[in-house]
Amino acid sequence: MNAHAFPLGAIPTTVSTGRRKLVNVRQRSLLVAKLRTLWILAVFALVGLLALGRITYLGFTGVTPSHGELGDMLIPDRGDIVDRNGVPLARDFRVYSLWFNPKAMSEGSALIHTPEQIAASLIRIFPDLDRDELLGKLRSGKPGYLRKSLLPEDANKVHALGEPALEFPLEATRFYPQGSMGAHVLGYVDSYGHGKVGMEQAFNDKLISPEGRTHPSVLSIDFRVQSALEDELARAMQLSQAKGAAGVVLDVDTGEILALASLPGFDPNHVKPNDMVVTPEQAAMGEVPHGFNRVTNQVYELGSAFKPITVASALDAGTITDLSRRWPAQPLHIGKFTIHDTHNYGASLNVLETLIHSSNIVTAQIADELGGVRLKKTMEALGMNERPYVELPARGFPIWPSGTWPRLRTMTVAYGHGIAVTPLHLASAYAALVNGGIWRPATLKKLDASEVPAGRRVFKASTSARIRQLLRMIVEYGTGRKADAPGFRVGGKTGSAEKPGVGGYRHHSLIATFAAAFPMDKPRYVVISMMDEPQGTAATSYQRTAAWNAAPVVARVVPRIGPLLGIMPDETRDIDISDLKPLIPAGSAEE
Amino acid sequence: MNFTSDRIRSIGWISTLVICGAVTLGLTLRVNAVKSQVHDADKRIVYVQQDIDFLQTEFQTRANQQALSDLNDLEFGYKAPVAAQYIEGERQLAALGLPAGPGAPAPIRYANAEQAGDGSSEGASLLAMVSPVTGATAAAMPQASAKSDSGRDSGRDPERDSLARDAAALGKRLAHIEVAEAVQQ
Repeated sequence: MNAHAFPLGAIPTTVSTGRRKLVNVRQRSLLVAKLRTLWILAVFALVGLLALGRITYLGFTGVTPSHGELGDMLIPDRGDIVDRNGVPLARDFRVYSLWFNPKAMSEGSALIHTPEQIAASLIRIFPDLDRDELLGKLRSGKPGYLRKSLLPEDANKVHALGEPALEFPLEATRFYPQGSMGAHVLGYVDSYGHGKVGMEQAFNDKLISPEGRTHPSVLSIDFRVQSALEDELARAMQLSQAKGAAGVVLDVDTGEILALASLPGFDPNHVKPNDMVVTPEQAAMGEVPHGFNRVTNQVYELGSAFKPITVASALDAGTITDLSRRWPAQPLHIGKFTIHDTHNYGASLNVLETLIHSSNIVTAQIADELGGVRLKKTMEALGMNERPYVELPARGFPIWPSGTWPRLRTMTVAYGHGIAVTPLHLASAYAALVNGGIWRPATLKKLDASEVPAGRRVFKASTSARIRQLLRMIVEYGTGRKADAPGFRVGGKTGSAEKPGVGGYRHHSLIATFAAAFPMDKPRYVVISMMDEPQGTAATSYQRTAAWNAAPVVARVVPRIGPLLGIMPDETRDIDISDLKPLIPAGSAEE
Repeated sequence: MNFTSDRIRSIGWISTLVICGAVTLGLTLRVNAVKSQVHDADKRIVYVQQDIDFLQTEFQTRANQQALSDLNDLEFGYKAPVAAQYIEGERQLAALGLPAGPGAPAPIRYANAEQAGDGSSEGASLLAMVSPVTGATAAAMPQASAKSDSGRDSGRDPERDSLARDAAALGKRLAHIEVAEAVQQ
């Protein structure tokens, strides 16, 4: 303190050296103290800066709760599949399994009770377990599943047995709440977690991607429509004792598939081995496994349902200009081949009568005038020469006559023989027939208004308008009368084709199809129903043809799905057919 | 004295540091306690969400279309409604009415007084705009802007009247239906 009291110059020289030393020491220690303070200051400043930086960072980014593994627990391993209204059709579901772990107890035997006692207690909980199999597993000393898919209450009961070796891990499985509904559309997931058959296979990569796991995949299917279609097809299949049935509901303006059913189906929750494969003997009998999709994978000769396509092609090409023109209706001899009709419809028929009565003879003549080149071009424009457009993995290739069509081939294709396509091909073609002439690919993805494909023009709008009238008149006066649903303005065409077998066509094995659209004044949906080998039963008045089995399906499905899809029945409305009505003489309509 | 004050100062510093350290430690423990509470809550949320998913799936499975359809076949027997059960617009509704039979009670009518303030004056102005050619009632029109609309309004007027008449007739018929049902009951 004294050093500060005197100015440096005033210190006597006698003591200056000693003092100077002291001053040096003092200055040095002061410097050290200052330096230390600076260090501390720097550390504080650094800490303060870090804190400020953190606060600023949090202020800018916001506090993001890092759920980490907790958040992951809520994200399924495989994304959900939902219908167009967001109803889940396939979802991940965690269920308990019963797992035998013989190493659960480190010392002594693996089980506390005897295997017999445990088997008896387990059978009390699960009466359907096989006792011998269970005992074998318990005695083997090898780890393994004793049972999959346990209810929580059953898991509790197993827990109460007090056996440490009986574990019940929670495992993620794929679950389909609607059971077998839409099984062919959805497919299933095998034990390795790979999607099979349906959209599970088509969307497999998407469903397990991070984006697909958090956001459900939306299908174009409406599960209510799907259910109605399956219901009615199953009913008709039972009534007509058919081997199988298929159906599809398609939006004519977008190509979205609202329902796609193939019967008999399978339950994707419990896929049995014989759902997917058939024995060689069954295959030789022409049978297909239940997992086989008849709508997109199986090709059929669809018969008379092709006639409106031929007529539309002829109208479009201008080879039919006068609908009142009459063609001779006597059996047609082409070389060694003769084209017949099922009944005699008189000496001659006009185009309208041809469709109403479904005459092969006149259709063949119309196609003959049209020529094979133009008919083939129309068929190609309708996609009949390639696999159907849909996301499903199973898509059948049509039996398509390539090269130049000879005269007879042109004639048979005109009434749906000598060409085999899937029912989905037919649905897309009918959509183009009635929607103003635009063909669009079918899709199982829900489309926004902006995503609807432009499609390609196959028919003129005027041709489409004419075909709408003709289809409506077939249902009102012709072979399709059993498909009429009052107020829904249904139009459509029957088709009954004999199935080819060894050594020619089998006369008692038919493919009966009804291709319909409604409402005909402004078509919105195409409905196809198909029966595979229907039998004549009391319920079908001992008839096998489409008018008696496939057409009534449409009549029952349309009133169920129409109001759901925003089409209200109205008997005061219909398509204007007054200009064509004079072409059918009174009383000539089908009996 | 110097020594003691230095000592006291360093003791003060040390004790301040210890207190700060203790407070920091306490705060850290508290923060971690809250964090683990949050984690617990998160865990419970996840479990509840899993329960919800489980229950949702159970409901969907129990209420699947096949089950509902079976229940309907067994219990209710509902069928798809037919065209006659739908009514589109007032005209179809009115068409359901029947003319009053002899001796039927008078239909109940509801009083409907038009307010002089808005409705009638608007009607009057519309009426005033009916004949813009003669100009007889043009003076009655308050605004020039209304004039430009006059041609269109004059065309609409009979339609309005007929709609009002229709509505009144419909009201009458509805009243009639109500009365008829009341008599039956």
